[in-house]
Amino acid sequence: MNRLKRITGIAVLIVVFTMSSTTIFAQSLTGREIMQNVKDRPNGDTRYSEMTMKLINKRNRVRERKVKSYSMDIGVDKKTIMFFLYPGDVKGTGFLTWDYDEVSKDDDKWLYLPAMKKTRRISGSSAKKDYFMGTDFTYDDMGSRSVDEDTHKLIREENIDGKKCWVVESTSKDKQDIFSKKITWIIQDCLIASKVEYYDKLGKLHRELLLSEIKKTDGFWQAHKLHMTNVQNKHQTLILISNPKFNIDVSEEFFTVSNLERGDF
Amino acid sequence: MKRQYIILTILLWSNFVFSQEDKTKLNFTGFIDTYHAVRTQSPNDFLSSRSRLRGELKMLKGQSYFFTSFNVIHNNVMPSKTGFQLREAFFEYSTKSLNLKIGRQIVSWGIADGMRITDIISPMDMTEFLAQDYDDIKMPVNAIKLRWVKPKMNFEVIYIPIPTFSIIPYETDNPWSVFPTEGDPFLDIDMDNKPELTFANSEYGARFSFFLSGIDFSLSALHTWNKTPVFTRSISENLDTVYVEAHHYKLDMLGLDFSLPKGQFVFRGETAYYMGEFHETKTLEPIKKNSLNWLIGVDWYPGGEWTVTAQYSHKFIPDYVDVLTEKENTILSTFGLTKKLLRSTLSLSTFAYIDISNEGFFDRTSVDYALSDQIHIMLGYDWFYGDAGMFGLYKDNSEVWFKAKYSF
Repeated sequence: MNRLKRITGIAVLIVVFTMSSTTIFAQSLTGREIMQNVKDRPNGDTRYSEMTMKLINKRNRVRERKVKSYSMDIGVDKKTIMFFLYPGDVKGTGFLTWDYDEVSKDDDKWLYLPAMKKTRRISGSSAKKDYFMGTDFTYDDMGSRSVDEDTHKLIREENIDGKKCWVVESTSKDKQDIFSKKITWIIQDCLIASKVEYYDKLGKLHRELLLSEIKKTDGFWQAHKLHMTNVQNKHQTLILISNPKFNIDVSEEFFTVSNLERGDF
Repeated sequence: MKRQYIILTILLWSNFVFSQEDKTKLNFTGFIDTYHAVRTQSPNDFLSSRSRLRGELKMLKGQSYFFTSFNVIHNNVMPSKTGFQLREAFFEYSTKSLNLKIGRQIVSWGIADGMRITDIISPMDMTEFLAQDYDDIKMPVNAIKLRWVKPKMNFEVIYIPIPTFSIIPYETDNPWSVFPTEGDPFLDIDMDNKPELTFANSEYGARFSFFLSGIDFSLSALHTWNKTPVFTRSISENLDTVYVEAHHYKLDMLGLDFSLPKGQFVFRGETAYYMGEFHETKTLEPIKKNSLNWLIGVDWYPGGEWTVTAQYSHKFIPDYVDVLTEKENTILSTFGLTKKLLRSTLSLSTFAYIDISNEGFFDRTSVDYALSDQIHIMLGYDWFYGDAGMFGLYKDNSEVWFKAKYSF
């Protein structure tokens, strides 16, 4: 009996210690550290996916865009090449980005226009605030925003659909940004956002992003469905990610202007 | 020429058929468009009325790639332009760092928009002057291009065995003719004076391009033909006919271009030194003179789907002699403004060429609305102004136009 009591006691101690250490770990993380962990979430050195974007207006009229995207991590920076597949008038257009983690350094961007048979160097900073192909996602939302472009604050923890989340408020340091702050619900298990609320400069809710169909592919977590709603004008964009692949066989030579001009199928 | 394409197609096809390593991927796309333009002053006639089918076929098998694009055109205003037109047809083979492209292809060098400084390999189809999309103006050449590709630079060499020349409108039924279409004296125009098909008459060049963080730049060198002919004129003994003869001459070019993004702006520059360029004169014989050509430009992306572009170009002929018909300094600038609305489905744009040397301009203003994912409708106005220079020639050709395009 004594032995049983002792084992039970040890087990209780382990559980209490584990719970308290998790709480201490969670509580000890700052908002910035959580966002850095989200950015550093393992997702392979290279990756590929196809995206279908459905643009839905308030009368439920749907327009569609399709792109395929390849990306590669180069240290803390990232290179991405994107090919537009649909609609026909933009098919073959290519977009190459070298994203830099350093906040003060503008990204390098090139746009290939197949009709002109020409690649243009474009501004690495201004387009970030524009909406991507008429969707409710900005170029910034589609790319990898540097963690230090915002000030992050962990405001609480709460459960969404039974999943424990950190709720982080991120305030933009750039007054030109289209949002003043965003609140992100991050699932602690997989370090993926479940919901993001974007507030305009007057502090009113502007856009709401819901991420779902979160599952593992090749051992890496990814949300396969992203639903952005502009709550002010009722326009919505649904992004469906298909055929994701990680650690694909591409080299740095793939992310070049030469390859951008060659296009993709 | 047709036989060459058949042989080339068989060779390329055999490569795809007999290479069993990878699965062949096929892709066929294109569009159907119809374009109609009416002169806005008397006699309010149609300056253009054409419809076309553009087809583009891509085939990929492993490292081999084949591309062809063609037009099937029906032209009401210029019936001679009705028919099949092959645009590009090339084979490409790529390894990790090498890229070989053989066949009929459009070559683009430089960073200028709608102007040619170093971009003088592909000739221009000036059948409707600049009153058509710039991508329809540029013509393919039969070339072999080898490119060595590294992440931040590439080096290409190009060889063009048989030169292709710009199409200059001179027919009397073409409202865009560069010569008077009526009146005295009668013009007897000979455009068939082309160079012989010899090895010595082939073109070749190289371009070294760098794509770096914060700047792109290229160095280029080219031995080529001036794609625009130099005209000589002589008059018959009884003074009732002027004989106009087109002559083509070679030239050598050294070029440099750069693009420099800075915040919301991208600054662009391009310069080329043409060596041994022949110029038209007020007397009979053309004169050989070098020329310095340069351009600076800026693109401004202020956000909100606005784009503003401006360019200034200058051509200077050193050791100028008054007998040349071209001025010692020729200045041309452009200004472009584009705004997208309604989630990028509506595009308003204007693009103007301003001939500062001759106080003339050409402006194309248009509205483009995406009726659906496949269908675009466009309405525009082409405004020619001036009494001299290339735009003064078409001062009676201002037009309103309509275009509809279905992409598949």
